[in-house]
Amino acid sequence: MALTQALTIGIDIGGTKVAAGVVDPEGNILDRLRRDTPTKDPKETEDAIAETVRDLESRHDVIAVGIGAAGFVDGTRSSVLFAPHLAWRHEPLRDAVERRLGLPVVVENDANAAAWSEWRFGGGQGESHLVCVTLGTGIGGAILNDGALQRGKFGIAGEFGHMQVVPGGHRCECGNRGCWEQYASGNALTREARELALSGSPVAHNLLRRADGDPRNINGPMVTELAKDGDPVAVELLEDVGRWLGIGLANLAAALDPGTFVIGGGVSDAGELLLAPAREAFKRTLTGRGFRPEARIVRAVLGPEAGLVGAADLAREEATWLRRVRVKTSAVTAKTAARSGRSARLERVARKTAGRRTGMRVPEPESLKEPTEFELKEPAELKGDTEA
Amino acid sequence: MGLSIGIDVGGTKIAAGVVGADGKIGARSHRDTPATSVDETAQAIIDAAAELIAEHKVEAVGIGAAGFVSADRSTVLFAPNLAWRDEPLGERVGAALGVPVVVENDANAAAWGEFAFGAAKDVEHMVCLTVGTGIGGGVVIDGELLRGAHGVAAELGHMRVVPGGHRCGCGARGCWEQYASGSALVREGRALAESGSLAAAQMLSVCGITDSSELSGPMITKAAAAGDPCAVELLDDLGRWLGEGLASIATLFDPSTIVIGGGVSAAKQLLVKSAQVAFEKNLPARSNRPHPSFGLAELGNDAGIIGAADLARRRESAR
Ligand SMILES: [Zn+2]
Ligand SMILES: [Zn+2]
Repeated sequence: MALTQALTIGIDIGGTKVAAGVVDPEGNILDRLRRDTPTKDPKETEDAIAETVRDLESRHDVIAVGIGAAGFVDGTRSSVLFAPHLAWRHEPLRDAVERRLGLPVVVENDANAAAWSEWRFGGGQGESHLVCVTLGTGIGGAILNDGALQRGKFGIAGEFGHMQVVPGGHRCECGNRGCWEQYASGNALTREARELALSGSPVAHNLLRRADGDPRNINGPMVTELAKDGDPVAVELLEDVGRWLGIGLANLAAALDPGTFVIGGGVSDAGELLLAPAREAFKRTLTGRGFRPEARIVRAVLGPEAGLVGAADLAREEATWLRRVRVKTSAVTAKTAARSGRSARLERVARKTAGRRTGMRVPEPESLKEPTEFELKEPAELKGDTEA
Repeated sequence: MGLSIGIDVGGTKIAAGVVGADGKIGARSHRDTPATSVDETAQAIIDAAAELIAEHKVEAVGIGAAGFVSADRSTVLFAPNLAWRDEPLGERVGAALGVPVVVENDANAAAWGEFAFGAAKDVEHMVCLTVGTGIGGGVVIDGELLRGAHGVAAELGHMRVVPGGHRCGCGARGCWEQYASGSALVREGRALAESGSLAAAQMLSVCGITDSSELSGPMITKAAAAGDPCAVELLDDLGRWLGEGLASIATLFDPSTIVIGGGVSAAKQLLVKSAQVAFEKNLPARSNRPHPSFGLAELGNDAGIIGAADLARRRESAR
């Protein structure tokens, strides 16, 4: 089997469900598994991952595993520093799973994984400066700069749902007030709709009827459905969320200047009901408008499986790269390292540049002398690559 | 070997210097910025560089200018102070000098100077703020300057921090630089004095003035350094706005170091301390993540020259 046709497994670990799939190089999911997430014990979560992989592996020949998890993943993509819905605290997930499976493993923040697949297979194709905004209960974010996922120093860049947009505004679980996700997310939509219904305003009549008279039954999809049916107040509620979305995007454009914003997540099901007011507010608040090129705002196309597909694709990149490194002698890297002066930093940067497109893990030269923990399949396959 | 020229095009002065690969400035030249004419400004830049090129063999010229610079780093799309609109500055200056020219946003150039040779020379992820009349931003990610898709990234001073807030020259309202810049400091100081505050009256007398319209940023900084409580409060407020804004920015970039430079940074710890305190209080998920360090810029007014020169040299050697 040629390497470029190799299959990988992508795993999306959510707060309640583990979704896994076997993914081909075109981003198609060939096989799927779902199970509950054991949230209390890190060991059990690890077991669940291993069992899922073994199950899929029994039916498919896979070369690597990518894990997307909600939480802070460190800069080397090996540990989960903190996961809000799981028991992981500084959990060295990659090495633990790699040891158990004997396959290369990549750990990635779920929003980053989703952004990667939108770039490779979805709404962001052909755009190397991409910002993905996932509107779920909160806001997930990812930044692709010049074709590379931005992780920042500690691996936690792109958490812009917690950028403050209203001083002293609504409380947020991050400990602050006025975070963007308190105004432009599914939770915000639900909160506003319930408040309106509770106020007893006659304009909320349809909304309340759809909720069987109880404001607590109101949720985001209900508002979106009503808006699609033309209910004016539901349209307004989505407009408000869209406006906040556009305002935040203008902030991000000032800082990041992307070519395209890809908007995904459950709230984006509202389509133009959300995006049209977002574009309007974006245009109205963008700094230097009229004197600068402006980013496009488009909808994500891959849906809830984007994270799984992205994690699988990142794992493929990693596996491909690891093979190349093993086939090449470590001499080149060692020579670079030997250059004096600010060599340590230069070398780090050089290694980063080598892995730039995906931000792939680049081992220290010493580690190349040691045999890696897993046996790499088909080394002959790569002979053609070594001259490159 | 490996000399390049860095040119900092300011609102009133054009400052140029010959910079070595070690980031040290040798010879310098200056011109006044002819505010009225686009052509005259380009000519003044050419003159300043030609004066240095006559005496030194240089490989490249880097120009740092306020405004939006195109992604190919040759055209100024828009400059607020200099009336440039889609000005092919790089081509023009390059043709006149016979040397490759790189144009860079001035705050980017200053940030790069601090990254390559100054306060952030040992890190790979940096956010640098040049706090003067406005806020200039520069971001380095993984050892590379962030330019974005169109070359106009890192305009951090125009992130909105107050809905419906103060008007800004960029056409928006409530931009960060309306709250955390030298202009904001002076505006607040004057407003306080005009309100009849006794503390402000005392501050004016410490500054040696009677008319609040004469109040300036450096005066407030000096009064604060001398312990005037009103001036200390004004700087404290400014620092708080800085720190709160930086907490939002940290969610985007996750930097290892934040560097604060520009005229207002003359207030040193009076400013940086309060900025850091506010930052620590406002960083989202602050108890569950590593925090970046804070530092003052080290290169002063030379950061732009050094950064522009180094960026120009790097592009030449990459060719
Ligand atoms: Zn928050
Ligand atoms: Zn502005």
